[in-house]
Amino acid sequence: MIAFAVLGTILAIAQAGCAALVLADALRGASSDLWGLLAGFAVLALLRAGLVYAGERAAFAAGAAARRRLRTDALSRLLAAGPALLRAHHSADLTAVVVDRIEAVDGLFARWMPAATVAVVAPIPVLIAAAWADRVAGLVLLLCGLAVPVIMAAAGIGAAVASRRQFLALSRLQARFVDRIRGIATIVLYGRADSEAAALSQAAEELGRRTMRVLRVAFLSSAGLDVATAVALVVLAVRYGMALLAGDLASPATALFVLLLVPEFFAPLRSFAAAYQDRLHATGAAEALIDLPPLPEPAPAREIRTVAAQGVTIAFEDVSLTWDKARGPALDGLSFRVPAGETLILAGPSGAGKSSVIEILLGFVRPDSGRVTINGADITDLVPQALSRLTAWIGQRPVLFAGSIRDNIRFARPEASDAEVEEAAAAARVDRFAATLPQGLDTRIGEGGYGLSGGQAQRVAIARAYLKNAPLLLMDEPTAHLDPATEAEVLDSLRRLALGRTVILASHAAAAHAFGGRRLDLRAGRAAATARGAA
Amino acid sequence: MIRVLLRILGLWRSRAGWLAAGLVLSIAALAAGVGLMADSGVTIATAVASGVLFAPVALRGLGTARVVLRYAERLATHAATFRALADLRVWFFRRLAHSSAGGLGFRQAGDVLARMVGDIEALDGLYIRILVPLAGAILLLPALLILIGWRTPGLAIAVGLLFALAAFLLPWIAARAASGAGTRLADASGGLRVAVLDGLTGLREVRAFAAEGRTLAAVQAREAALLAAQHDLARRTALAGAGAFLCAQAAVLAVLIAAGANPAGAVAAAFLVVAAFEAVGGLPRAGALAGHAAAAARRVLAITDAPDPVPDPASPAAMPASAAIRCEGVHFRWLPDRPPVFDGLTLDIPQGSRVALLGPSGAGKSTLAALLLKVAAPQQGRVLLGGTDLADLPAGPVRSRIAWLSQTTHLFDDTIRRNLLLARPDADEAALWAALDAAQIGEMVRALPDQLETWVGEGGHRFSGGQGRRLALARALLAEAPILILDEPAAGLDADTERDFLTTLNGVAEGRTVILIAHRLTGVERLDRIWRLSGGKAVAAAA
Repeated sequence: MIAFAVLGTILAIAQAGCAALVLADALRGASSDLWGLLAGFAVLALLRAGLVYAGERAAFAAGAAARRRLRTDALSRLLAAGPALLRAHHSADLTAVVVDRIEAVDGLFARWMPAATVAVVAPIPVLIAAAWADRVAGLVLLLCGLAVPVIMAAAGIGAAVASRRQFLALSRLQARFVDRIRGIATIVLYGRADSEAAALSQAAEELGRRTMRVLRVAFLSSAGLDVATAVALVVLAVRYGMALLAGDLASPATALFVLLLVPEFFAPLRSFAAAYQDRLHATGAAEALIDLPPLPEPAPAREIRTVAAQGVTIAFEDVSLTWDKARGPALDGLSFRVPAGETLILAGPSGAGKSSVIEILLGFVRPDSGRVTINGADITDLVPQALSRLTAWIGQRPVLFAGSIRDNIRFARPEASDAEVEEAAAAARVDRFAATLPQGLDTRIGEGGYGLSGGQAQRVAIARAYLKNAPLLLMDEPTAHLDPATEAEVLDSLRRLALGRTVILASHAAAAHAFGGRRLDLRAGRAAATARGAA
Repeated sequence: MIRVLLRILGLWRSRAGWLAAGLVLSIAALAAGVGLMADSGVTIATAVASGVLFAPVALRGLGTARVVLRYAERLATHAATFRALADLRVWFFRRLAHSSAGGLGFRQAGDVLARMVGDIEALDGLYIRILVPLAGAILLLPALLILIGWRTPGLAIAVGLLFALAAFLLPWIAARAASGAGTRLADASGGLRVAVLDGLTGLREVRAFAAEGRTLAAVQAREAALLAAQHDLARRTALAGAGAFLCAQAAVLAVLIAAGANPAGAVAAAFLVVAAFEAVGGLPRAGALAGHAAAAARRVLAITDAPDPVPDPASPAAMPASAAIRCEGVHFRWLPDRPPVFDGLTLDIPQGSRVALLGPSGAGKSTLAALLLKVAAPQQGRVLLGGTDLADLPAGPVRSRIAWLSQTTHLFDDTIRRNLLLARPDADEAALWAALDAAQIGEMVRALPDQLETWVGEGGHRFSGGQGRRLALARALLAEAPILILDEPAAGLDADTERDFLTTLNGVAEGRTVILIAHRLTGVERLDRIWRLSGGKAVAAAA
C-alpha cells in the first residue's frame, strides 16, 4: 500500500517534469521533439491510475482482515463472560460494540495507518525534486510541510478528548433508540408518541451540538493544511513571477515544474488529514473494545462422570451470593443436597433467591462464598461446555431467536434429526399450536417470538429441554404463563421428562403440588423449612 | 433510484436554510480554490509572455479566502447534515408509532434498529459527498468552457467533454453498477446486526445450551456476507476513482497538446484544469455510494410507508361521555391465512363494572384488548364505546380512556419515576407512591437507596419477574383512565402476593371499569360478571 503510494508520487514528479518542459517550450516558441514527452506523460498517467486502483484494493483488504479479527475477538469475550453481562449492560449497547465500533475501527487500518507512513515518506521525493530544480523552492515547501503536523497536533489533542466523550454519547443515544422502538406499543398506547419523539429529537440535537464542538476543533487541522498549501503556492508564484520579470530565471520550465509539484507535495498530507478523522473515530471505538471483559484463562478440561445409571448429585454448602450490595444478599448461607434422580422444589415469594440458585447451577454467576458441587466436583472448576452438557433449562422468559420454530427447538441440540425435533415438539405440545400456523413448525418467528403467546413460547422452551435430554433438569417457573388446561398437559409431560433425572424446580405451590419431591422453602436467601411435598 | 433519494431530500425542507448555506459556502470555497491555482499559472504565463507581473495581490486575497471559506464550508455542511439526519430519525420514529401500535410484529427490533441507525447513517453522504460537489461541478463546467474557450474553443470542447465524463457520466455509471452491491450491503449489515443482537439478547440461552461456538459461527457467516458486499463495492469505487483520475490526466494531456497554439493561455489552462478536476475527483466514488444510499433509503421508506393498521376516521364523532363497552357480532382474524379469533362475538361491559374474561391460550382474550385499543379493527360487526362505534372515533382519545397492562408491557431502561410518568406526566410524588403502594411494591421501592430514581435496566431485568410486573401495574394504575384492562396481571407472582394484590385491586379501581383477563380466578376477586371466551364467542358465566 505504502509502496504503491510512494511509487505513484515518483511517477507524478516525472509527469510534472514532462508537462513543465512541454509548456516551457511552447512559451519560448521553440518546438523540439514534444511527442516523446507527451507519450511519456500518457504512459505515466496510465501507470498511476493502475497504482491508485491497486492501492485502494490493498487498503480494503487490510481493513477487512483487521475487522474480522477484532470482531471475532470481541464477540468471543462477550460470549465467554456470559449472561452476567446483561445485568450491567443493555444488549443493544453490546451489539453497538460488536457491530458499529468495529466498523469504525476500519478507518484506522485501511486509511490511517498507511496514510500516516505515506505522509512522512511520499513528500520526500517531491522535496528532493523541487530542491534539485530550485533550492529556495525546496526550502519553502519544507517549511510549509513541517508546519502541517504542528498545527494538526495542536488541534488534535483537544479533538481526541472530545471524540471519546462523543462516542459514549452516540452509543447511549443508540441504546435509547432501540429501547424506545422495542417498547413502541407501550408508548403509543399511553399516547406518548409525540412527547417521546420530541425527547428523542432533543437528545439527537444535543448530540449534534456536541459533535459540532468536536468538529470545530478537528477542522482546524484541515484549515492548517489549506493555509500551508496556499502560502506555498502564493510565495512560489510571486517569487517566480518576479524572477522571470527580472530575467534571473533562464527557463520558465523550472518555475512551472515547481508549481506543478506543489499539489503533489501536499496530496499525501491531505490524505493524512482526511484519515485523521478516521483515527479520532477509531481511537474512541478502540477504547470501548479494551473495556470488554478479558477472555478467561483456558481451564483444564475436567470432566465428571455422568453415567446415566448414577445420574447427577447436587450440593450447596453455605452458599452466599450478592447481586447488588444496596439490595442485600440474594443467597445468604444456603445449604441443601439433591441426590441423583430426585426432585427438589424451591418455593418462596418473589425475590427469595429461587432464580439465583438456578443461575448458579447454570454457570451464569459464581457464588461469592461457599461451595456448589456437582457429583462432588466444584462447579467453578467445570468448563462451561461440560456444565452445559449436564443441564437442560426451562426459564421464566425464554428468548426465541429469529428463525423458524423448528430452528428454535433444534437450538438445544443442533445435530438432532427432524424426527427427534418433532418428537420433542409433540412431547411439549408445541405441535398443537404449530398445526394452526400457516407453515407449521417451519413458521418463522421474529425476535422475542411475536405471533407466539407467552405460553406458546414457554412450550418451545420445554421442547428444547426434551431435545437436550440432559441428566440435570433446571426449571424456573416453567408454567407461569400457561392456562390451567395447558398447564396440566405441560406438567404431565414435564413429569415424564423428569423421570430418572435430577430436577430442581423453582415454582409456587400450585405447580409444586403436582410434582412429587422434596420441598425447600426459601425466605430472603435462606432455607426456611423443608418438607416432603404432596403426591 | 433518483425518486427515492428525492423523497428523502423532500423531508429536509425545514432545513433548507442550513443546506443552502452549506452549498453557497462550498461553491464560494471552490471558486477561490480554482481561482488560486489558475491565477498562479496566469502569473507565470504573463510574466514570461508580456513581461508584466500580474495580480500578486489577487493571489494573496484568493489564498486567504480559500482557507476561510473552506473552514466555514466544512462546518456549515456538517451542521446541516446532523440536523437533517436527526430530523429523519425522529420522523421515522413517528411513522413507526403510527404503524406499529400492536408491537413490532414480524419485523425484528434489531432489523428496525439497523434501518433507523445504519441506513439513515448511510444517507449522510447524500448531501456532503454527492449534492455539494455535484452543484460545484454544474457551475464549474460553464466556467471552464468560457475561460478556456475564450482563446482556444477546440481545447475547451475537449476539456469540457472530459469534465462532463468525470463529473456526470462516470458517477452515473458507477451508481448504476453499484446499486446491486449497495442493496446487498444494506441487507448484509442489517443481517449482521440481527445476528449479533439475537446472540447477545439470548446470552442466557446461549450459555445454557453451550451454543457459543454456533453463535460465533453464525455471526462470522453474516460478517463474511457483509465483507463480500463491501469488497464488491470497494472494487467498483476504486474503478470509478481510477476512471476519474484518467479523465483528469487526459484533460491535462489535451492542454499540453494544444499548448503550441496559445502558450500563455495553455499555462493558465493547465493549472485551471488540475484544480477543476481535483474538485470533482470524488464524484465517481460518490456515485458508487449513491447506489448504497438509495438502497438504504428504500429500506427506510418500506417501514415508514406501511399503512396505518386502523386509520382514524375522516370526520370523527364526538367522544361519548360513557365508558360502557359493547361488542356486536364481531368477526376478526389477524391475517387472512390464520383461523378466525372471533366468530360472531357479542358481549356487554357496563360502565364501572368489574368483569373477568376467561379462556385458554389463543381464545382471543388479548385480541379483544387490541380491538378496544384500536390496534386492530373487526372485519365484521361493531365495537361500541359509550354507544358510539369505535370506527367513528379517533384512536388517541380512545386510548386515553383505557389503561392497559399487557403480558408484554415494556419497562424502559430508565428510572422508576420516568417509567411511571409515562402514564401521567403531571403526576405528583404522592400519586406515584400511591400507585406503587396499590401495586404492592411501594415497600420494596422505599427500601432501595435511590427509591424512585432507581434504574430498572433493560426490560426491567434489574428486578425479578414479579417485581417488574408490579411496576408495570403501578404505571397502569397511575393513568387516569376510566377503563382498566389487566391482561394476566398476576402472572409470575407467588400465590400469597397474587391474592394480596387482587384484594388490593378490589379497592383501588373503585368507580372504574375493570376488565380482568385471566386463565382462572383465585376466588378473591370482586366481580360483577364473568365472560368465558371459547370458539370465537363469549358466554356469560355466573359471577
